[in-house]
Amino acid sequence: MKGSLWLAWRQQRVSAGIGATVLLVAAAIAAYYRSGMLDALHSGLFDHCATGPLYCTRPDTGLPLLLDVEPLKYLGALNITLPVIIGVFWGAPLLGRDRELGTHRMVLAQDVRRGQWFASRFALAAVTTIALSGLLAGVFAWWWRPAADRSYGLFWYENAALSGSGPRVVAAALFGLAAGTLLGLLVRRVLAAMVLTLLATGVMTLLLEWTHRARLLVPPHTYVSAGSIPKPPMAEKWSTGDYGLITATGRHDDAMSCPFPSGAQLKECMAGHGYVARFYQANPASDYWIFQWADTAVLGALAAGLTIATVLLLRRRV
Amino acid sequence: MPGGRITALVGRNGAGKSTLLHLAGGLLRPACGQLSVLGAAPGTSEARARVALLTQDKPLYPRFTVADTLLMGEKLNSSWDRTTAERIVREGDIPLRARVGELSPGRRTRVALALALGKRPELLLLDEPLADLDPVARGEIMAQLMAEAVERGMSIVLSSHVLPELEETCDWVLVLRDGRVELSEDVEVLRRSHAVLTGPAGQADILAGQHTVVRSRTGGRQLTALIRQRGPIRGDWHIERPCLEDILIGYLQAGEPGHRSPAERTEAAA
Repeated sequence: MKGSLWLAWRQQRVSAGIGATVLLVAAAIAAYYRSGMLDALHSGLFDHCATGPLYCTRPDTGLPLLLDVEPLKYLGALNITLPVIIGVFWGAPLLGRDRELGTHRMVLAQDVRRGQWFASRFALAAVTTIALSGLLAGVFAWWWRPAADRSYGLFWYENAALSGSGPRVVAAALFGLAAGTLLGLLVRRVLAAMVLTLLATGVMTLLLEWTHRARLLVPPHTYVSAGSIPKPPMAEKWSTGDYGLITATGRHDDAMSCPFPSGAQLKECMAGHGYVARFYQANPASDYWIFQWADTAVLGALAAGLTIATVLLLRRRV
Repeated sequence: MPGGRITALVGRNGAGKSTLLHLAGGLLRPACGQLSVLGAAPGTSEARARVALLTQDKPLYPRFTVADTLLMGEKLNSSWDRTTAERIVREGDIPLRARVGELSPGRRTRVALALALGKRPELLLLDEPLADLDPVARGEIMAQLMAEAVERGMSIVLSSHVLPELEETCDWVLVLRDGRVELSEDVEVLRRSHAVLTGPAGQADILAGQHTVVRSRTGGRQLTALIRQRGPIRGDWHIERPCLEDILIGYLQAGEPGHRSPAERTEAAA
């Protein structure tokens, strides 16, 4: 096992080095921009800003007040594409390179079992992937915290934050690695395996983004307010954009039936149509973790399934 | 097959030479049947430590240096003879710092061979090992292999299409046809028991009754036949002692359409 781990490290050290470099650069950029962000917050400029999704403005000019969160969003984007990058450049060649060159036969002709050959290189890749993705997600969280859920910062439900932070980043990266590894085993050419991995991980990433938008895995909460009293504030909740009126029988109607924000007109219209309450649908900020764990479960299960498939196919394919 | 021998594995393309060597090396698993190497099942840790296999394409990591490749051999094997491995590489004038991918095919073969011999195997399986070497290097490496074999009592099984080469080096022959063992015999016995007869075509039937006809060819009224003797040769024949190459070619051609396999005529072919 020691020997095959040595070989695994010898072959993956360049990738590991690139990963470490990316991490260090990301951390350095994060430290720089985060301190700038903290300075801005400490300047007192943002002290008058209320919570909620509405921008707060400069008292003097009336322009919206914003923190510089663009670089943070780029890190989020990197974390979102991590499964694709790791799958294509680490997973696909992991077994695929040896299969293409036939070098696994040379390795297996030494005193190395098939299982050792696979286990050592996959374990090393998986540990590196977990460390890299976990630390990148950690850097994002650390950088994001001062600007989290503020109109001048980044709300939890924006995809840079929702998909680019937390445990789901680690699960997604492992999924990418497992998908690439299996495709590398199935396809004899590394390049073809890389292209297929790009497609598979890309489609999966977009699919999960879609489930977020569709609230498929985490259904929204319906907030109801009786009569025409003001609705509970949206604050940092993630609205589905679905809001309206409720009749006495419980029927939900679109808000356009009574398109008045408040006041006598609204009251009159509601009474005329027989509406007794108003509602809107949204996910509260605490759902961030439910989204996170739902994604982690889906991606983790996929990663585990793909790895098991790889192990089972190993006997037949290698 | 007996141990301590240098066995030539002969057969036409697709006869199953590489498959047999891969099976013995533990890289393939038989769907049915059994194979044991040095008393152990191929692929077990016992067999893996004692058997070295050099496959036909001699795959090596192209971006590793020669030194890295030898270091890999040291790391991946429970026993490793660095002196031998380095000597084989050095005798080929191969710089240790060179990348394997930049070496000529012949030099790469030498590195692959160093990797196989560094393991100090009791059985060395070579699948057409010398196909891409120049004649001088072929001779050198072959001589080196023979010396190692004698010195350590190592058994070698090598497949090759270069029959004259086998004549000088091998003392046991295994002929494969369509995945079956056609012949497995000591070279000396093989030479002594076979004869090439030339004579009138009319005697063909008598000949087939007395001996095993491996292969025969009729040209006009004349018959030329490679036979395995089953007693003294009677009749009006011109007798020649064949070299190993002639015998092997006889057996290889015997499987072609138009020839009946000698195995069908005798039960004791293998």
